[in-house]
Amino acid sequence: MSDAIITFDKVTLEYKSRVGLFKSFTHKAIDNVSFSVQKGEVFGVLGGNGSGKSTLLQMLAGILQPDEGRIVVAPNITRSLLSLGLGFNPQLTGEDNALISCMLNGYSKKDAKLLSKKIEDFSELGKFYTQPVKTYSSGMKSRLGFSTAILSKVDVLLIDEVLSVGDIAFKAKAQNTLLEKINSDLTVVFVSHSDQQIKSLCNRCMWLKNGSMLAQGDTASVMAQYSQNITIKK
Amino acid sequence: MNISQAVSLIHTQATMKMKSQANALVLSYLWWVLEPLLFVALFYFVFKYVLYRGDGDFFIFLLVGKIPFLWFSKAVNSGANSIIQNKGLVLQRVIPKIIFPLVNCQEAFYKQLFAFSVLLLIMVFNDFVNVANWWQLIPLILLQYILIAGVSSVFAVFVTFANDFSVVIGMFMMGLMFTSGIFWDINLIQDQAMKELLLTLNPLAALIDSYRQVLMYDNLLNVKYMMYILAWSLLSFSIGYFCLQKYSNVLTRRLFA
Repeated sequence: MSDAIITFDKVTLEYKSRVGLFKSFTHKAIDNVSFSVQKGEVFGVLGGNGSGKSTLLQMLAGILQPDEGRIVVAPNITRSLLSLGLGFNPQLTGEDNALISCMLNGYSKKDAKLLSKKIEDFSELGKFYTQPVKTYSSGMKSRLGFSTAILSKVDVLLIDEVLSVGDIAFKAKAQNTLLEKINSDLTVVFVSHSDQQIKSLCNRCMWLKNGSMLAQGDTASVMAQYSQNITIKK
Repeated sequence: MNISQAVSLIHTQATMKMKSQANALVLSYLWWVLEPLLFVALFYFVFKYVLYRGDGDFFIFLLVGKIPFLWFSKAVNSGANSIIQNKGLVLQRVIPKIIFPLVNCQEAFYKQLFAFSVLLLIMVFNDFVNVANWWQLIPLILLQYILIAGVSSVFAVFVTFANDFSVVIGMFMMGLMFTSGIFWDINLIQDQAMKELLLTLNPLAALIDSYRQVLMYDNLLNVKYMMYILAWSLLSFSIGYFCLQKYSNVLTRRLFA
């Protein structure tokens, strides 16, 4: 379990958006962050709103490239990012979206169709599975997304707060499946603002605030620093 | 992602898009045939009863020009906006960006097959029955497909980089409409050098003239012009593909700005 699957080396990412003809707004979403995720572990990223968690996940997924520093990824690794509200075409049915999603993960159409049956069962969407995603509630969307991601075989699963949506029964089922997967070869990076979830799922984690990393290491020690900081604020 | 996976993905996404669009309409799939039919009816009405130009073959002449042109303009417009349309997917996954314009081109192609069927039926009804010559439509359609894919992918780069470019595309289409010989016959240009230049520089003009040569005048395709079209198509596709690969990261970042 000692080989790194993804390594961040002094990574910085800056967003730039124009607010006027000659004015622009820049924001360092990730500022000089270094860490590595080991094969087969569950790595947590803890942080409040706007701390750069989602950007970090998008970089882990390879969607965004850093402005400075470098990201080293082990060869032939498939990565899948799971986040709410994104990645679905609202006009298409849940089934079609799941099919496309599987095909994007490298499944052939035939295999994707087989997997789609399993996704239908796991997601417990019932007859909504063949309805357009625009008719879904946010809980249903997250169930579809989670089911698709967890059932497709990928090497690294990147999860963005999805477990916070959905009812208690599904949340428990999702956590259990995730724990089962953790015992297999799957590497998971799990982003949350809830220290409880991180505590129950992750071996190691890091704490992100305003794009900077304040602590990283095993969950207990990071949590100790985190809760200290929270109490001071109070 | 290998080629066969990409092709299967493009086909699947294109058919799904068509299905979902059809489901959103009351007349559903019927629109694929209805739309070209209505278009033909509109042209017939305008040219026969409003402009009194229904004489001779002008109506057919116009249709054979306009239907391929509409394919080009619709497909390129939709392909150019394809990456912005799929923002959600782009921000969630690493997908080669060329896929997006190609999905929209494929969708437009499937719809165009209905339009071409309507066109051929109308040709037969009007006694243009040189069916033995129709096989030449296959290389023509193929060439136009590559041209559309090429131009769409280049425009997709521009539109994703700066949405302002959408305005330019509108102008570009209008310019093409006037210079491609849709309402007039390119063979009527007296100045041979000028005609040659137009057919070389504007692949769409050469395409439209070729459709007429095949469907109306029972002629063989001019290989020289076909080569020009192929050269333009491959050139634009290579540029588009290269830019979408090379500037993939820049384009993703533009979607946030």
